[in-house]
Amino acid sequence: MIYNMYIFDRHCQCIYYHDWHRGHTAKTAFDTHGDPLASHPSGGGGGGSTTTTTTMTDPRQGMNMSLEEEGKLVYGVVYSLRNLVKKLGKNQDGFIAYRTSHYKLHYYETLTGLKFVINSDPNVESLQQALRQIYTQIYVELVVKNPLACASVTSGQVNPETMGAEGFRNGVDRFVRSLTMFDT
Amino acid sequence: MIFSIYIINKAGGLVYNKDYSEGLSKLTSNEYLVLAGTFHGVHAITSKISPVPGSSGIEMLETDTFRIHCFQTLTGTKFLLVADPQQPSIDMTMKKIYEIYSDYTVKNPFQNPEMPIRSEQFDVHLRGQQQQPL
Repeated sequence: MIYNMYIFDRHCQCIYYHDWHRGHTAKTAFDTHGDPLASHPSGGGGGGSTTTTTTMTDPRQGMNMSLEEEGKLVYGVVYSLRNLVKKLGKNQDGFIAYRTSHYKLHYYETLTGLKFVINSDPNVESLQQALRQIYTQIYVELVVKNPLACASVTSGQVNPETMGAEGFRNGVDRFVRSLTMFDT
Repeated sequence: MIFSIYIINKAGGLVYNKDYSEGLSKLTSNEYLVLAGTFHGVHAITSKISPVPGSSGIEMLETDTFRIHCFQTLTGTKFLLVADPQQPSIDMTMKKIYEIYSDYTVKNPFQNPEMPIRSEQFDVHLRGQQQQPL
């Protein structure tokens, strides 16, 4: 079972989010809201107040934080673990995945510092190869080679909507749904 | 092969660490403390960012060269076992270590809870446990 996926850029910004099996009851409520990342607060100013309001209205059951906050936490976790592993493992990058009682987080980092993170149920074998494929076959083809998406990335301000051009979102969706462990 | 054992108290402080074989880089005692604190924090966050409700904290961390297994007791003490990816029966080893910990640390009247463990008996038995085949 595959739950959700994040992509972070070098500036620790979550540039892509997609979920599949994340709380079946909450999913429909989610869809009516459209793309969760589209509701990015535009002004950095009233950060405190926006987060508290989103906490109240967040449709996901059992989760009491906004997607933006959650993205930051996920980034923090993989960043810390990567550094920890690097320190212990003689300066080699080697973080592959971690497992808890309810989920398993798989990690893949490109040489350019792009971080791909996918959550699945704990019994799934390593998905690092799949993440690599998403990078080489979908991200490179549909985002890196897409002049419109690149323009927004280099300007420093990453807009998740232009970056996640529909083609990319559909490509990832199709790819993940084709994995054998998607539904089992 | 077991590379090392760390024990982290419920506040995130490192109370015991021992390296058993080469394979990991040597760290200073300060770096070990940082590592323990980091792991403690990450452990707490990983249960929060679960895509499904009710998850525990991190139980196993997998890398190219080693795996870190984490066992948290009901009282919040964490046992970290850094082992080879092929190491079998980690659960048994973990249970055994917990047993030794209870016998020689918790039952030791001179041991302050949550304080660094300095007990020769504990050292000796842990080492003995590493050497005997399961």
